[in-house]
Amino acid sequence: MRVDPEVCMRCGACAGVCPSDAIEATDGCVRPNERCTDCGLCARICPVGAITIGK
Amino acid sequence: MENKYDVIVVGAGPAGSTAAYSAAAAGASVLVIDRRRELGVPVQCGEALAEDVLKELRIEPDPRWAVCRTNAVKIVSPSGIEVRIAERSVTGKVGYILDRKVFDKFLAMRAAREGAEILVNTYVNGLITENGHPAGVRTTGAWGKGEFRGKVIIAADGVGSRIGRWVGIKTALKLEDIESGIQFQMVGVKPEDTSLMEFYFGSGIAPGGYAWFFPKGEDTANVGLGVLGSRADRRPVEYLREFVRKMPHISCGKVVEVNAGGVPVSGPLKQTVKENVMLVGDAARQVNPLTGGGIDSAMRAGTIAGEVAAKAVDEGDTSEKRLMEYEKRWREAIGKRLEKYLKGKEVLLKLTDEELDQLARTLSSVRFDRISLTDMLRVIAGAHPKLLWKLKGLF
Repeated sequence: MRVDPEVCMRCGACAGVCPSDAIEATDGCVRPNERCTDCGLCARICPVGAITIGK
Repeated sequence: MENKYDVIVVGAGPAGSTAAYSAAAAGASVLVIDRRRELGVPVQCGEALAEDVLKELRIEPDPRWAVCRTNAVKIVSPSGIEVRIAERSVTGKVGYILDRKVFDKFLAMRAAREGAEILVNTYVNGLITENGHPAGVRTTGAWGKGEFRGKVIIAADGVGSRIGRWVGIKTALKLEDIESGIQFQMVGVKPEDTSLMEFYFGSGIAPGGYAWFFPKGEDTANVGLGVLGSRADRRPVEYLREFVRKMPHISCGKVVEVNAGGVPVSGPLKQTVKENVMLVGDAARQVNPLTGGGIDSAMRAGTIAGEVAAKAVDEGDTSEKRLMEYEKRWREAIGKRLEKYLKGKEVLLKLTDEELDQLARTLSSVRFDRISLTDMLRVIAGAHPKLLWKLKGLF
């Protein structure tokens, strides 16, 4: 998945639903790690629609 | 700063900071680690808190963080029927709208003053284990990479706790168990009364959740909503923009801050303790499933966690069995009430917009000054016998 850094609010809701522990949400950015399977749950929960599935 | 502590707390939100205070007060050496550069920021919360937990923990409300006193509630049904609930009745509890940027920092400072060490701008990216037993955390951040050993790790690391997952507790949330929350802090709005909290329901407003208007002052307010993850047809922020546009007392205002976050509404986790590890706050899903409020539960559970952790370290026994005292005590103190609210939420989710309007019509004619929840349910059952089968989960 891809996170649009201009839209992302670093709220971490995506990390909360990720079944693969594939999201790193540090203070500054949210990005997927190698465990991401593009299941799409994060895209559905994002309050601002900052996530797109696929590369 | 040492690299070995009795108790390591990950996360300096209300749960972590109260756990740290409580453990330090009981004599343990405590380190609190938070990934943020500034505690309390970003705000991911409607910021409403009933006053009882402050009284219980003997925390004096300070106007720098308890910015607006509330004592009444207005609930609005999908087609605009209002139900007003005043002070001292069912849910019209006295409370405050907080400035959590100040409140969270205050709670951390309170822990620090009691003796806890604090490490900000530091991200916990792994668990240290010794022969398979959790023994500490690995960190990275502005100060470089680090390792800190702790006899007990209190995981106050928020929604979908990573530490919980690392010790085998399934903390990832399903879409039907999480609210996607979005909020505007606004100026230039026109509250009917600064002590009145407003709640709006409707599948067109906030499917599976509700919108709120919480005054923070004469012309300022938190305006937000939560949408159930499994019921969102659009981005939650679009639901919020439309809600603001539709409300004359809100659309006149301007946005000075945007907040977002996920809120677990599944009810608490079945297991919050493992050998050497305790989950607290949002990490343990100790959040009211009906209101989405979690600050009070976090602070109560955090206080218990800190006490139990310190005692266990002192006794030289931090096994899962020993730490179960925390489980027992927090379920007694807050767990049962959260399960009741979970039933309430499940019932509410089954009602259609028309049924919500019917309920509101009945309740709007009731005086809520002196009524118990049982009385309210009797009133509802009497007026809407056909709804009984949907409401039966509440009895």
